[in-house]
Amino acid sequence: MSKKVKVISLMLAFMMMFTACSSSGGSTDGEVSPGEAEGSKEKVTLKIGLPGSYEVTSKEIIDGFIASHPHINVEIQEAPWGDFTSKIATQIAGNTMPDVWFQENATILSYGERGVAEDLSSYIEADLKADEYIDGLFSAKTPEGKIWGVPHGINPIALAYNQDVFEKAGVPVPTDDWTFDDLIEASKQLTIKEGDQTSQFGFIGSFSITNGWFPWIKQAGGSALDDTLTKSRFDDPKTAAGLQQLYDGLDQGYFADIDYLKANGGELEVFASGKAAMYFLQYSLQVNMNESFADTNWDVVKIPKGVEGKRYVPMVANTWLVSSRAKQESKDAAWEFLKYYLGDEVQDIIVKTGSTLPVKKSALDQLKDSTTKPLNKAAFTDGIDEGGVTLDENATWSEWRILVQQVVNEIMVGNVSVEDGVKDIHAKVQDVLDSGK
Amino acid sequence: MATSRIRIPAPLTKGRCVMQKQGYWGYIFTLPFVINVVVFLLFPILFSTYISFTEWDLFNPPRWIGLDNWVRVLNKHEFWVSIRNVFVFALIFVPIQTLMAFVIAFMLNQAIRAKGLFRLFYFLPVVTPWIAGGVVWVWMFNYQYGVINWVLESVGLAPVKWIDSSHWLMVISSIAIVQVWKGVGQSMIMILAGMQNVPKEVLEASQIDGANGWKQLTKVVFPMVTPMVYLVMILSTISAFQAFDVFLGLFGSITTGIPERNMVPNLLVYRDAFLLFKMGPASATAWLLFVIILSFTLFQKYFEKKWVHYD
Repeated sequence: MSKKVKVISLMLAFMMMFTACSSSGGSTDGEVSPGEAEGSKEKVTLKIGLPGSYEVTSKEIIDGFIASHPHINVEIQEAPWGDFTSKIATQIAGNTMPDVWFQENATILSYGERGVAEDLSSYIEADLKADEYIDGLFSAKTPEGKIWGVPHGINPIALAYNQDVFEKAGVPVPTDDWTFDDLIEASKQLTIKEGDQTSQFGFIGSFSITNGWFPWIKQAGGSALDDTLTKSRFDDPKTAAGLQQLYDGLDQGYFADIDYLKANGGELEVFASGKAAMYFLQYSLQVNMNESFADTNWDVVKIPKGVEGKRYVPMVANTWLVSSRAKQESKDAAWEFLKYYLGDEVQDIIVKTGSTLPVKKSALDQLKDSTTKPLNKAAFTDGIDEGGVTLDENATWSEWRILVQQVVNEIMVGNVSVEDGVKDIHAKVQDVLDSGK
Repeated sequence: MATSRIRIPAPLTKGRCVMQKQGYWGYIFTLPFVINVVVFLLFPILFSTYISFTEWDLFNPPRWIGLDNWVRVLNKHEFWVSIRNVFVFALIFVPIQTLMAFVIAFMLNQAIRAKGLFRLFYFLPVVTPWIAGGVVWVWMFNYQYGVINWVLESVGLAPVKWIDSSHWLMVISSIAIVQVWKGVGQSMIMILAGMQNVPKEVLEASQIDGANGWKQLTKVVFPMVTPMVYLVMILSTISAFQAFDVFLGLFGSITTGIPERNMVPNLLVYRDAFLLFKMGPASATAWLLFVIILSFTLFQKYFEKKWVHYD
């Protein structure tokens, strides 16, 4: 008998060990409750996912929500960005995901398409005044009118310039009236070659999407996809023309290329040290600039105008979504949180952190009085107001974007001609778009 | 009237009772291992087989689509490019790594000064994280500013596009060299262990019989460490076909756009499964890769008896 007890105890111990293993997956999970444990039966539990932990979302925001919503039991699931994003897919598969979390806007769009995200259009219509927000509020809106999330923040780009480099060269600093031709011309003037080597470039010729090939094709009148986001526009000669201009800058040596950037510490280092005079800078990187290169004398203007006099300001967004599989009471609590997040109190906190732009107009207005670099933050805020565009994001964006990037990389290092490259891209992107229907 | 035969169990003897008890405890003690194998090995194997015949995005229930994923994968140009690359990668990496490991192990098995320091030096890359190793090699391979091209140019040779080349063979060869740098230490330790098991008496006897250094190496030492060399070859082959970290370390990230001509199967599996949530094609690719690794290992096993000496 006693041996049986021993055996059963042993088996129980194993079971407990496995149970412990399975529940210890989120070691950083923590439960935060403002009130007493008693009486929590009436409380709603809300699980909030925070990729990047409190480095990306200010703790002040979460604490404020907990304090102002005592009837909601908040459970935080935080992890470094990479860990969170690789874990969340498995959590969704196992139906153990948070009730509300944020990721890149394109990812949220694909979640929406797969039935993971709740359509927030009716919530927004009932509780928010759209005219109090910039258009970026609807970054996760589909052509069919569904809204799969609301922004955690917006990150547009502007043209950053190193004032010391311009002064030394006697070249007038950029203005909001600049066109891309002005940018190219100034880059040529600012480039200093010493024999085979270049000691100073006019511009950083990044060829990633946000501050690289996308603004270049947009300014040339081209685009990645059409307005319906179902047709590739890489067969448009204007798209090819934009890529050609970027390639020419790299090939002729007035744009800093990838080899130079890698060998000299990366884009920010090259710009801050004056080795390149201009740079398409994402708003969030101002924090890094101020932390790591406080002495650099720099500012920003709006991204230059395109060939048709129209300005396109690419912006990337991280987007909150509400899980479509959450209980209705948790969905309601999640929307309470998002309303709070889009309210004045939180939007003001976002302005102070500087890591992203808020979407509420009243909060954006505060940036005009900002005294930190860059002083001309209106280049970002007015820029998105004038010409803010997303990166042609749709449900298959993650897939076709990789394919485009593969070929653009080849074009920019001279392995493939622009003409052949865009043909290849067009066929591949259209294939993905067709298969995603 | 048929009479039924009733089997009367044999009475429990003392010995049989002990056997039963021992068997009972045997099952209990092997239970954790059995659970581990079933949960973390058998189930994933069976599940991934099933998934390879379905359309599954992780979020919605899998939908049976028969052989579609297999057909689609086999019809994709990038899959065959990746297979070509991984074969060439293995053909470059495995012989170089094995040969270098053998030579280094032989040298470090001699009576030389600071032997321990050299062993540490050669083993250091094994414990260097790929992130750090990748950054160093990317810098060394830099076309315009890299140290390798600087050396080439300083002796009058033209710089080479190592990992940015439009020729896939150059890129794959360069990456294979990096993999050798990372893995040679581990292989060297294994062969060194084999060499240290070669009895001194045998070596002394061969010397008395007139074997010089080269003959001793090829006719005495090598045959006696062939089991270790064979093991190193098998492990290197498997690691070559499973190459993933080295490619990510040198190319950065799949989202930054690794050219199709430089792809290997594991990059495709990772991209399809965890970036695009296409678990079906990812599972089919993984199974095809398994078949290739198995075939290659069996091929090596076939020739084992011809050159590996266990006596």
